[in-house]
Amino acid sequence: MRDSIYLAWRYLRHHRTKTLLLVLSLSVFLGLPLIMRAMSRATQQSLLSRAEATPLLLGKKGSSLDLVVEALYFQLKGAEPITKADVDGLQAMDLALGIPIRTGLMARGFPLVGTSLDYFPFRKLRMTEGRGLAMMGECILGAEAAEALGLGPGDALLTSPSTLFDLAGVYPLKLHVVGILEPSFGPDDEAVFVDLRTAWVAEGMGHGHQDLSSAGPDVVLKRKEGTVTANAKLIQYNEITEANIESFHFHGDPSSYPVSAAIVVPHDEKSGVLLRGRFVDAETRQLVRPAQVVDSLNKQIFRFERILEIVVWTVGLATAVMFVLVMVLSWRLRAEELRTMTRLGCSRWKAAQIMGSEIALMVGASVLIAGVFGIVMAQYGETWLQTLILRGS
Amino acid sequence: MRMARPTPGRAVTIVVMVALVAMTFGCSKKSDPIPASGSMQPAQASIYAVNYPLSYFAKRMAPANARVVFPVPPGVDPAFWKPSASAALEFQSASLILLNGAGYARWTSYATLPQARLVVTADGCRDTYLRTEQSIRHQHGPEGAHAHSELAFTTWLDLQLAACQASRVRDALVAQMPEAKDSVALGFETLERDLLDLDDRLRSLGKALGNQPLLASHPVYQYLADAYGISIQSLHLEPDQELGDDDWKEVDAMLEQDRAIWMLWEAPPLTATEARLRERGVTTIVFDPAGQSPAEGDFLSVMSANVARLECATGVKPCR
Repeated sequence: MRDSIYLAWRYLRHHRTKTLLLVLSLSVFLGLPLIMRAMSRATQQSLLSRAEATPLLLGKKGSSLDLVVEALYFQLKGAEPITKADVDGLQAMDLALGIPIRTGLMARGFPLVGTSLDYFPFRKLRMTEGRGLAMMGECILGAEAAEALGLGPGDALLTSPSTLFDLAGVYPLKLHVVGILEPSFGPDDEAVFVDLRTAWVAEGMGHGHQDLSSAGPDVVLKRKEGTVTANAKLIQYNEITEANIESFHFHGDPSSYPVSAAIVVPHDEKSGVLLRGRFVDAETRQLVRPAQVVDSLNKQIFRFERILEIVVWTVGLATAVMFVLVMVLSWRLRAEELRTMTRLGCSRWKAAQIMGSEIALMVGASVLIAGVFGIVMAQYGETWLQTLILRGS
Repeated sequence: MRMARPTPGRAVTIVVMVALVAMTFGCSKKSDPIPASGSMQPAQASIYAVNYPLSYFAKRMAPANARVVFPVPPGVDPAFWKPSASAALEFQSASLILLNGAGYARWTSYATLPQARLVVTADGCRDTYLRTEQSIRHQHGPEGAHAHSELAFTTWLDLQLAACQASRVRDALVAQMPEAKDSVALGFETLERDLLDLDDRLRSLGKALGNQPLLASHPVYQYLADAYGISIQSLHLEPDQELGDDDWKEVDAMLEQDRAIWMLWEAPPLTATEARLRERGVTTIVFDPAGQSPAEGDFLSVMSANVARLECATGVKPCR
């Protein structure tokens, strides 16, 4: 048997191009369904595990999928925001912990996430470098964001302007990086976390400027009855520092400021049931169970996957027929070679063994290639597929 | 003909790798941990307060195993303390953070603190907070005029308000340590009695003073004035600094307007200042707001001494 395998191996090596083409086409035939299934399962599992780790989500009434995608995966879907007062109201019910999530801005291509300190222990995120958020104007980076940007504690990061061509719009805010999170193999790795108020400042809802009571006439247009009107020369700070932090303020009531969603962590099962009951008839708010939403998304993915599988298997069948055809034609071309082998004393059974070994080696190589590619794609293609699914959903 | 040996090692490797591939696909991928609830509290109860009165209230009520911390260094006014990042991080580790409310300790508005563990003690104790008179309205950009108006924040000088703040501290302590409910309630009862006794004395004093105005070296007595019906006009003078000509002009203008014969100081003024005030017929009365830990005694003894000095100087009660 070993001799047959050796001869088959030598033959395949001699006809490298033909062998390579056959192995590759077989690999695609075997690999595509495997890769598709592995990636799809990994993505579904990853999506579901994060959703299952989030008991409830409070948001504005509308698409629950948009809400989940924005609050859990930080993919901007334009879900309508609720207000900080909603989160405070939820907290006041004393049934759950409310963790606000504010998304909407980016910082050099990574989502800027404004949240509260409770988010980090809730997601079991730990620092690998530096410290946690302590003051407004600070940020901590997810592992991937830190690596991609090449930033660490002590560095600075600018938020991306929300409207590039709006000169009167909000200017970027310079954030101070104070810590890096350990990899968590999820969306948190790609996020830039800031305090909720820092997110509002970055959005232009709060600002800091020089003291108007001591401002000179070049800045002040008029002073009248306790009202000072400043001109455009008034220096507004684009960085929150120890020196100017006290000048930062918000106009209006911060409880009316936007929050994309709130992660709701009920104190116990009963509290969760009571809370869900309270939001059943809410006119403008919804309390969703992310696991249910993602499960329904997964079912859609599964349905799509089934259709795709039929297509892939059809193509695969055509490939298999082609393979058989190539092999049959190849054997016909090799008729003289087989006759020579018989004359040399080789039995028909031995010849069949050699041919069989050739097929086995090629199929084996194809399975190996498909398998390795499948593993690689399941490992690294998950994020890509996840992004594709969430953006396209 | 002897064939060369095939490569069995390679064949075995291939088989093993194929098996590994199959096993890999059979295994499920990592799964995120699922936290049970938002139980992010430190093990031992530690109560952080932003000013001395709140830390005093907490100490009077908290059980012995709770740690009450007032981290503002001596000599620093807690209302204007600017903590370092490490000090803010220390606050984050607290089981309970007692805030005063009314914009007291401005640093709490820009530090990152755990919202679920904050207790704003004065919120809801009054319909509205009193305002200082120094807010400046200003306008820049398209937002229209706005003012960074300052709220008066020495709320505990209204002793009923202080008792209300103490009740908020009590509620927070009970919620945090339900097993100590009885001892906390007992501590509150005695504290409330002490505070309301002082409140009664101040109420009598307010009635006795009638419309007689008082001057104050600093605008910190708004709640005292409002609660006890005392007319107090405030200046911006520091007790440990010599008064300049402009300061005296301001004092004289006030005296001409209000004909005050008493002036409240947060701490004893310089002897020269006291003498020049006496020349003008003004008696200085030290009324320590006790926002910071006293060198001697505690909140209650400081407030009791404040009231006694006021009673003595105004002749409401004989001096001891």
